[in-house]
Amino acid sequence: MSEPANPVSPEGPGGTLDHLDEITCLLYAERQLDRARAQAVSAHAQDCAACRTLLKALERESRLLTRAMLEEDEPLPSRLAEFQERARKSHQWISGLIFGLAATGVYALYTNFVEPWQQRLEQAGFGGTSLLSLLVFQGAFWKGWQSVITLLEVLAMLTVAGFGLVIFRRRLRRGSALALVLAGLCAALVLPPPAGATEFRKAQTAEVKQEETIKGDIYLSGERVRVEGTVDGDVYVLGKDIDIDGHVTGDVIGGCQSMRIRGRVDGNLRSAGNTGIISGSVGKNVTWFGDSVTVDSAGKVAGTVSMFGGNLAIDGQVGRDILFFGHEVGVNGAVLGSIWERGDSLIIASTGQVGGRIQFKGEQQANVSPGAKLASPVEFTQRERRSEYSTGHYYVWRIIWTAAFILLGLVLFLLLPKFASESVAAGERVGAPIGLGVLVFFGVPIAAILACITVVGIPLGLLTLGLWFFAINCAELVVGTVVGNWIFGRTTDVWGQIGRMAAGFVIVRIVYTPIAPLHVIGALVGLGIWMWGIGAISLALYKRLQPKVTGSSMGVPVAATS
Amino acid sequence: MSVPGMTETTEAVARARAGDADAWGELYRDFAPAIFRFCRRALPTREDAEDATMEIFMKLRDKLSQYDETRSFSAWLYRVAANHCWDILRRRKIRQDKETEDVEDVPLEHPDPSQLDKLIEQKTSEEVRHALQKLGARARMALVLRYYSDMSYDEIADALGVRRAFVGVVLLRARHELRQALEGKSALAAGGTS
Repeated sequence: MSEPANPVSPEGPGGTLDHLDEITCLLYAERQLDRARAQAVSAHAQDCAACRTLLKALERESRLLTRAMLEEDEPLPSRLAEFQERARKSHQWISGLIFGLAATGVYALYTNFVEPWQQRLEQAGFGGTSLLSLLVFQGAFWKGWQSVITLLEVLAMLTVAGFGLVIFRRRLRRGSALALVLAGLCAALVLPPPAGATEFRKAQTAEVKQEETIKGDIYLSGERVRVEGTVDGDVYVLGKDIDIDGHVTGDVIGGCQSMRIRGRVDGNLRSAGNTGIISGSVGKNVTWFGDSVTVDSAGKVAGTVSMFGGNLAIDGQVGRDILFFGHEVGVNGAVLGSIWERGDSLIIASTGQVGGRIQFKGEQQANVSPGAKLASPVEFTQRERRSEYSTGHYYVWRIIWTAAFILLGLVLFLLLPKFASESVAAGERVGAPIGLGVLVFFGVPIAAILACITVVGIPLGLLTLGLWFFAINCAELVVGTVVGNWIFGRTTDVWGQIGRMAAGFVIVRIVYTPIAPLHVIGALVGLGIWMWGIGAISLALYKRLQPKVTGSSMGVPVAATS
Repeated sequence: MSVPGMTETTEAVARARAGDADAWGELYRDFAPAIFRFCRRALPTREDAEDATMEIFMKLRDKLSQYDETRSFSAWLYRVAANHCWDILRRRKIRQDKETEDVEDVPLEHPDPSQLDKLIEQKTSEEVRHALQKLGARARMALVLRYYSDMSYDEIADALGVRRAFVGVVLLRARHELRQALEGKSALAAGGTS
């Protein structure tokens, strides 16, 4: 037995015999002293009545404590006695529910989301690829995989992986499994692009000069970016003003304020930016997220133009279709395929010509000049703001989506029961999570986008954005569980929590559904639910990341002497 | 470490590890009362103890694969229970609040042996249980680990995250707190010296 001080001091400083200190007596009584010290204590106790009494009292105290602790003073509560039986019973119907919800959720996801998108994209000339592969897998880090992985395959893999984790989580340490998933994701993100030499250029004016030929891909970044020479590969650009005057045999992928294509791009143009002007040619498709795109009279896009936001002006030629979500499409030139627009207005001038169907959903009829050459009349659908709330279809899908979300919640509760409980507990405080939620809701995407400015930060930024988006989807589930706990009382049983989550979520949906159509109030309540839920998740995460305090210092009793 | 009131059911443990639901039920029936009592002693309220008991058994499902069959199952189960209860108390900061008292280097005064003996003789088990509820989290936990679970000093040090050399001190301070609670403020410990 080694004590920090020397609690055993049968002999006083002057060699006189003192009383034993209490800690020594306790350690002796508990048989924690080494042989020599124990003998010293025993010898002292034989001669000292006070210490003998103390030793006897301590031993008696130990016996009293043990007796008090072990006595069966209260029976096992019925809640605990029934716990095992209830858990077993609940598993039976829950299994059925899981399958039912899973089938409903997958069906809802596919028919309401995936299928219509696939159809539209196929109409728009993206046949053979999927939305996900289009937007993500054609990026810098997965190039080459787009023909292999489709959205449905990804969904299928995620579903299988999710259920696999649930099934095998007893055999896997939860931390290890998550670490494996995250490590895999990070590894996928940071994998270098396959084949081809890649060059990086960063400068105030980053350029590929007229006489230059770059073999392989190139990354260009600067306030001004100019490509006047030839790039035999893809061009990844980030800058304020971008001019492509030369020849790019691959794709041009970038972000900018303004981009002018005066040269020739054999592949796709995919960009986010304020203004895009195409005066040259694009051999495949154009995908643009931003304010305005103009294909001017000399410009030519051989494939499809897909645009999200702002205005699209076609003065030149588009070889295939137009897929548009935004404000206005103006056609002065030729669109050899179809037009699918969901926007505010569609104007087709007398010089305009469209070779396929024109499907336009907007607030006012398309403005078509009598001189325009159309293969078929415009199929116009009046868009009524919030009209969906008055249709039965909306409510049917609302129910299906509710089932899908409950399924998601169920999987999360099974996969991460502890974290789910912590998030719900954090959500019960209301004020703090909403405050933090405001910060996270707006702050995280800004930080993620800032991180994406650097090439190295892109994986981190994308991962953060992905997690943020996922947290938003989980927010309503957290709020639902909090509401469920308020109504039915708290429980630590996972299946009890799942039941409360499901009931609470349904209640939140029932309450929110009539509020949703109320313009500003609906939006504010919806935002409030998001902030609350995402704040609770963030708070739970924050607490998890806090270092645990370990106790090590404490006072040492002073040996009593008399 | 021998655990009173619990039977070693090695076979049931093996079957439960293989995924046998009946074996799991057997283990629960055998050990739940003792674990509930442990939690009841260690945690402040009955509801806490009930919740903790369920959580411990749910945790056990995940952790059963980590159990070393060459060692005592009940001892291992108590370790899991102790860690769980201690985590709960730590999260609630009860420990932190009480720890500040402990950290203060207030010397423990030597008790009057005859007075202490008299006090112990007068008090019943029920009064001790009642007094236990008034103790700080660490003091209570230390006493429960030692006198209910019969844990060694090494095991207590590990469970509470303190150095082994301080376990005796923790137990002594806990006893002093208990005596004060039994006496109802007029602390015997502060009473006199011999």
